[in-house]
Amino acid sequence: MSQSASHAAHITGPKTYGAVLLGLLVLTVITVQASYIDFGSMNTVVALIIATIKASLVALFFMHLRHDKFNAVIFVGGLLFLSIFIIWTMFDLGTRETILPSNLKEPVLEFPGAPLNKPVRPSTGQPAGTPAP
Amino acid sequence: MSTATHTTSADHGHSPFLQHHFRDMDQQFNTAKIGMWLFLVTEILMFGGLFIGYGIMHASHPQAFLAAHHHLDRTMGAINTIVLLFSSFTMVMAIWAAQTSRKGLVILFLVITLLCAATFMGVKYSEYSHKFHEGLLPGKYYTHEGDTVPGQFLFFSFYFMMTGLHGIHVLLGMVVISWLIFRAVRGDFGPDYYGPLDVTGLYWHLVDLIWIYLFPLMYLIS
Repeated sequence: MSQSASHAAHITGPKTYGAVLLGLLVLTVITVQASYIDFGSMNTVVALIIATIKASLVALFFMHLRHDKFNAVIFVGGLLFLSIFIIWTMFDLGTRETILPSNLKEPVLEFPGAPLNKPVRPSTGQPAGTPAP
Repeated sequence: MSTATHTTSADHGHSPFLQHHFRDMDQQFNTAKIGMWLFLVTEILMFGGLFIGYGIMHASHPQAFLAAHHHLDRTMGAINTIVLLFSSFTMVMAIWAAQTSRKGLVILFLVITLLCAATFMGVKYSEYSHKFHEGLLPGKYYTHEGDTVPGQFLFFSFYFMMTGLHGIHVLLGMVVISWLIFRAVRGDFGPDYYGPLDVTGLYWHLVDLIWIYLFPLMYLIS
């Protein structure tokens, strides 16, 4: 049992916390600015990378995980299961034959890339039968 | 400032806050922290499911999501992000103030945290009321007229589910922080006893973490 989180150990001061807050605010500004730049297919990836840097700052400094190895293992274990969740879902979506578009209300003339009530490839949104890119 | 990493003699069962089933204050503190972390992992998995659902629908209806996100106000989202980050900072400063026996600062920082949370919910209220007014509601309740891209109700189903669940977490956090303010005024917290502050802080930072991901995914689609 780690005692590293115990009382009176590792009291981080306001200077560190202030610096972390400043870093978080700067990264927030960067996130907003980056959303106006077109990275093509990497848009979401860039946003998620910046968000992950911010999340790491919060977890390491505000949640004291730097000095709390035992709970860091719990936290990372949770993230591990979350990533299994995400990866297996992606396996499913990438290899599934068809998915029905949602039941849209009238009046709908066309659904982008997907004819109404006809199966589409979930990964591309194209009608079923079109070869994967 | 003591440097010992284990109990000082003052902790041996003399604290009025020591529950009888714990050996000492350290054990009580560490137990509470582990319990909170396990709870936070379940929270991550719950929100993770919603994020995955959002990702699936976003991937299969990109145009609808792109069109729908233009109904959100980026400025409000950014303000809320900054407010929540700042409240995370004040929460951790309240813990620091307790660790260094500054009772007045504990109360001050907790009150600022509570005000930030209230600000967050106020901005959320104005965002939601705008959407109710426009008929941008989830699923079958979507009544917004004149869309050029169909299927936008999908985005709002996820928007209301995820920001709504997050907002409920903020409200619960406000209740707990109010209770902490009451206890801080009573003078409960000090270097030997700040477990409730620390554990609430962990919860509050997780709420912040989730918003850090919600903000770019909901407001900044490009």
